[in-house]
Amino acid sequence: MARVMLEVNNLKTKYITRYKESVYAVDGVSLKIEEGKSLGIAGESGCGKSTLALSLMGYYFAPLHYMSGEIIIDGKNISDMKPDEVRKNILGNEIAYIPQAAMNALNPTQKIIRFVEDVIHAHDPKVSKKDIYDMAVKRFENLGLPPEVLQKHAVELSGGMKQRTVIAISTILSPKVLIADEPSSALDVTSQKMVIKMMRELMEKGFIKSMIFITHELPLLYNVTDDIMVMYAGQIVERGSAKEMVFDPVHPYSKGLMGSIIVPEEGTKDVKLEAIPGTPPNLKNPPAGCRFFARCKYSIPECAFGDRSERKFDNDRMHRCIHDVEYLEEAYGRNEQK
Amino acid sequence: MKHQLKQIFHSPKFVVGFVIFVVMLSAAIFYPLISSVSPLQSIAKANFIPPGRYINVQDAVESTNKVLMELDVVSERVSAALSASDKEKMIVWLEEYGGVEAGTLSADNIEELLEAWYAKYDPNTRFEGMLTSTSKEYQRMNTRVSNVLSQNGVIIAEMVDGELVKSSTTVRSQDFVGVKDIPNQFYFPLGTDNFGRDVLTQMTSAIGTSLRLGLVAGLVATAIGLTLGLLAGYVGGIIDNVITFITNLFTVIPGFVLLILISYSISQTTRGVNVVAVVIGLTAWPWTCRSVRSQVISLRNRDHVNLSKLSGHSLVHVVVFDVLPYIASYVVMALILQISSAILAEAQLSMLGLGPSTTKVATLGLMMNWAQTSSAWQLGAWWAFLPVIASIALVSFSLNLMNTGLDQVFNPQLRDS
Amino acid sequence: MKGYVKYYGQKLIWYLITFVIALMLNFFLPRLMPGDPVANLASDATAGMTDSSQIQLVVQQYKERFGLDKSYPEQFLIFVRNMFQGDLGVSFTQYPRTVVEIISESIGWTIALQLPAIIVGWLLGNVLGAIAAYIRKGFDKVAMPFFMLISSMPAFGMAIILLWIFGLTLKWLPIAGGYGFDLLPTASWEFVVSIIRHYQLPFWSMVLITVGGQSIGMRSMSIYELNADYVKYSRFLGIKDRKIVGYVFRNAMLPQITGLALSLGTMVGGNIVAEMIFSYPGIGTTLVQAVTGGDYPLISGCTLIITVLVLIANLVVEILYGIIDPRVKAAQQESAA
Repeated sequence: MARVMLEVNNLKTKYITRYKESVYAVDGVSLKIEEGKSLGIAGESGCGKSTLALSLMGYYFAPLHYMSGEIIIDGKNISDMKPDEVRKNILGNEIAYIPQAAMNALNPTQKIIRFVEDVIHAHDPKVSKKDIYDMAVKRFENLGLPPEVLQKHAVELSGGMKQRTVIAISTILSPKVLIADEPSSALDVTSQKMVIKMMRELMEKGFIKSMIFITHELPLLYNVTDDIMVMYAGQIVERGSAKEMVFDPVHPYSKGLMGSIIVPEEGTKDVKLEAIPGTPPNLKNPPAGCRFFARCKYSIPECAFGDRSERKFDNDRMHRCIHDVEYLEEAYGRNEQK
Repeated sequence: MKHQLKQIFHSPKFVVGFVIFVVMLSAAIFYPLISSVSPLQSIAKANFIPPGRYINVQDAVESTNKVLMELDVVSERVSAALSASDKEKMIVWLEEYGGVEAGTLSADNIEELLEAWYAKYDPNTRFEGMLTSTSKEYQRMNTRVSNVLSQNGVIIAEMVDGELVKSSTTVRSQDFVGVKDIPNQFYFPLGTDNFGRDVLTQMTSAIGTSLRLGLVAGLVATAIGLTLGLLAGYVGGIIDNVITFITNLFTVIPGFVLLILISYSISQTTRGVNVVAVVIGLTAWPWTCRSVRSQVISLRNRDHVNLSKLSGHSLVHVVVFDVLPYIASYVVMALILQISSAILAEAQLSMLGLGPSTTKVATLGLMMNWAQTSSAWQLGAWWAFLPVIASIALVSFSLNLMNTGLDQVFNPQLRDS
Repeated sequence: MKGYVKYYGQKLIWYLITFVIALMLNFFLPRLMPGDPVANLASDATAGMTDSSQIQLVVQQYKERFGLDKSYPEQFLIFVRNMFQGDLGVSFTQYPRTVVEIISESIGWTIALQLPAIIVGWLLGNVLGAIAAYIRKGFDKVAMPFFMLISSMPAFGMAIILLWIFGLTLKWLPIAGGYGFDLLPTASWEFVVSIIRHYQLPFWSMVLITVGGQSIGMRSMSIYELNADYVKYSRFLGIKDRKIVGYVFRNAMLPQITGLALSLGTMVGGNIVAEMIFSYPGIGTTLVQAVTGGDYPLISGCTLIITVLVLIANLVVEILYGIIDPRVKAAQQESAA
């Protein structure tokens, strides 16, 4: 039985705006990742992916506030820990984060090696600078980055190089869980490929034990992650293996999402692209009932009432639709025939 | 536009600054109108009268509405005539020269002290070892003090043809008159300056003049800076290089020095308020130019500008209709700051003696200069300069507040939550 | 390193050009303005004279003294040549002392006063602004409006208020002069103490003015930096707040240094008036006396020296900035590569 690296139970967090209103950005998310596995999280802008990433770190900066739920990293329940403890012992060495647009994540006026020293000293003040330097050089080379980068300032590096440096630094303490928030979205295609390669290597070489990959680019997830979760309006609406999610999505939203992708492969020229009309609901007052109700083609009046709870099926899959899987697959079949 | 206006007036900083500014402006406009004197009219023939109500003495004495009150008037008169050190000196004299035993008289028992003084003091006696100045001091004190203890009242005699004619009015020691019954009074809320002019009237009129000056200077500086900035930013190339070079030049060469040089060289007669304003504007434009230029450069490549260019609009048309509206907010803020700094610059210039040379209007800087040259602070006449400094600071402060408020509306990232 | 040389070389040349232009402005501006200072002086000297030929003689003398009988370019060259020989003319009001003599006496006092005042004011202002930005809650709400008020006050306003409170009302500190009137400059302890006492009021008024403006700027910059991405990232890697604060303020300081360079000119102007208020024997007071007395060469000399001082200060600040900010170094290496 593989070790569970990250287990999240019904996590709820919210934003409090300057007008003192609450926005329930993460509204009951549960997930489990085993050692050696990676999980992708997909969804449109504003569904709460980035907020989820921040929430999973276990440390909350205003205006983000923790409401309820558990986060357990390799058996350690960090939701019970005091924030100072989390900051000292968990952030960086148990769980690490790669921010969106990582190019701006580096202090423009600081040498990279100094920053690495600061990161390591924050967790273990006794390590000597020489040891840190050697370790950094080894790790960088291992990941395909030239060690000269360490002597440079952030401002002297290109976009792709900055991104990969950030990834290297985030994982320098070999955390158990790595959360990557759109790591390749702001880069050119070649750099994107290098970033993906690097992340695969991180997993393969054991520098990280598990990974969460957040993006809105679905084709990417298929190539990178083992499992995929689709998020909508603060909740997970479906989960399954990458293959299952891409070729056999169940929830109407996931189906719509997959159907709106342009796949540049043979035979897809005749496949009709469908856009999902409408916009996500306002999370200040989450709607009762299914949140996708207003935009769903397959909705029935009952969808608007009652909680949509998670429903398990097959081995490890989950979805939140009121309909059964068979009903939906039949409905999809009919749709495609049109 | 309406939405922006609404946001502006909801910004607390802007509103506070705006209110202060409006209050000062209203004071500047209305007080001189309701004041009974004109700003530079010399009323008091004395230097630096403290603030207060001044009543005509003859009216008080001749008033027919005198009321007799059973009040102890003597103690007040005594404290007015004798300070604590005076009493000490009296005791010293009496003990040394008056033959009084040491320790019998104390400053607390005024009556005894004064009675001993009246009995023993002789201004004509010369004592060895006493300086002339000291003896004169005692004589003066004696004059002050004589009859303080008496309850006899005074007789006012009239003068006719240079000769004293006997008694016209008797004033009893305990006669009082209601202030309202005295027809001739004058109220100086802030006292007078060294020329006997009412400070408050002068100051409010000066605020108005300074504001006007600031406006002219600000407009000049902003106009020049805006034009040059637009040209440099939009046209670019050689024109940009030349204008930037000149701007940098004038940024580094202290504008204040230029101001001094120019102001000194303009002879006294031409140095009116408006001339000074223009001169200040001419030395203050580089800052606006630089700021406008950087804004225009970032706007230059926006889509709507390119579209307009493609549509064949002339340079002027593009600049006026496509670029200007977007930098309007910056220009307004720049104008406000320029006005504020122009008022400060004029004040500094005037302090050096290089400000507007005018005897018809006052500016805040000129008032400061007058206070300084007549040693107002050494004479303790705080009313002649502290309110002026406060006005300058308040005007400047309100303008800066408004500017910060506007800044926060236009640049949301500066908002502090 | 090569890039550095080019960078600084360019800067130096630029400053030299600026100096030349300032020199020309200093020389030509007064002569181009309506109103002729020399004619004014001559008319002052001849006021009361009735004999027209006598008046002519005096005017002629003045003209020759100022070389006004030669053409402008010639005059300028003579002026420059004299300047490099250390001759800035002879003062009218303090005849026969030369301008150079008068200025060299007062310049020491000015630099000794203004340089530390500007530096201390800058440091103190930045520290306070940084604290206000970091603490936000209580301190900030009170401090910010207070600093805004101080910075809105004219330089001389602060000087006068301090003079009023500490000099006249509380009588703690002397209000005029560089040292006691009754003292002669000797190497005695008493003299030194007197200097220090007279130094206090002008010094602190200048510091306060600078603090007001700097703290507001620093606070805004710090708030801006505190919301930067790298701050969030550093936190998520477990780095302590204290270290992060160090990053933020180092980064926020950089634009402040540039700001210092830009406002040096204004600061000097304000401080000159402050000097005058305290009758402090520096260039400010000399300048004011020269203006009041219509002492043209002295005025010209003072403004020139002030300009040169500001230029040098600007250059120094720019050099410092180039060394401190790695972004400059990077840009240089890029262009040198």
